[in-house]
Amino acid sequence: MSPASLDEALVAAAQGGSTEAFSRLVERHQQVLRGFLRRICGDWVQADDLAQETFIVAWSRIGRLTTGSSVRGWLCGIGYNKHLSAVRSAARERARGAIYEAERDPTVDAAIEDRLTLKRAMTDLPAEQRACISLCLAAEFSHAEAAEALALPLGTVKSHVTRGRARLLQALGLSDDAN
Amino acid sequence: MMQTDDRLKGLFALDEPPARDPAFSTAVIEQVLRQRLREDVALMTAVSIVFAGVLWLVWPFLQPAIVSVSQGLAPTLGAIALAFCATMILGARPACLFGLAT
Repeated sequence: MSPASLDEALVAAAQGGSTEAFSRLVERHQQVLRGFLRRICGDWVQADDLAQETFIVAWSRIGRLTTGSSVRGWLCGIGYNKHLSAVRSAARERARGAIYEAERDPTVDAAIEDRLTLKRAMTDLPAEQRACISLCLAAEFSHAEAAEALALPLGTVKSHVTRGRARLLQALGLSDDAN
Repeated sequence: MMQTDDRLKGLFALDEPPARDPAFSTAVIEQVLRQRLREDVALMTAVSIVFAGVLWLVWPFLQPAIVSVSQGLAPTLGAIALAFCATMILGARPACLFGLAT
């Protein structure tokens, strides 16, 4: 059974009230959802809390999921909206960034430095751009799938990915070998 | 471009949670079941209140009729009430009984 048809079977069972089927959907998609939320939140604890809330909302709305829809896209869409609601204030994000900067260990090695640079660069990106990058570059979503999940036009997603990617590369001091 | 994207992907992968995380999945399902229980309790409370209200309204008309037929129907009504309770406790969820869920 292909992953998509397994998802469809599990969704159908969950729509029939099976918590066991929903539990399997949670197991199958927790990694991509939590990874996505970790990248757009920059805060793992908050991301995992949001992921839990996302699954609770998903359970109550499972009946609305139509056959053939991407389950991971649907979940990431709910998670993205939860994130936007939770972190509406830019001031809060800046405050968190300042605390994060203050707590950084200056003796970290190069690999960790790159990781932290990437995190900082991600935090500096606008929310939509960050979400597009998180889905398309990190989670291997197609542009169309990301557009559906984030409720954005396809062209917007493509330009967010291109611009966001360029900013990340610049922050990391990498050059694009294709250019 | 592929190398650069692979490098980015490699850095992003460091934030990736494990593919299997039973603790997380269990916590989610625990919350789902808790929410379901809350919904069931809320539904049963609402149904009980409505039933009590209806009973209170019709009681003046119902009481004389009950008294007159109670001798003959008491065992049958008792059995029906018992069956209903058993279905609620052992069988389907209350929401399913009322056709509000599957």
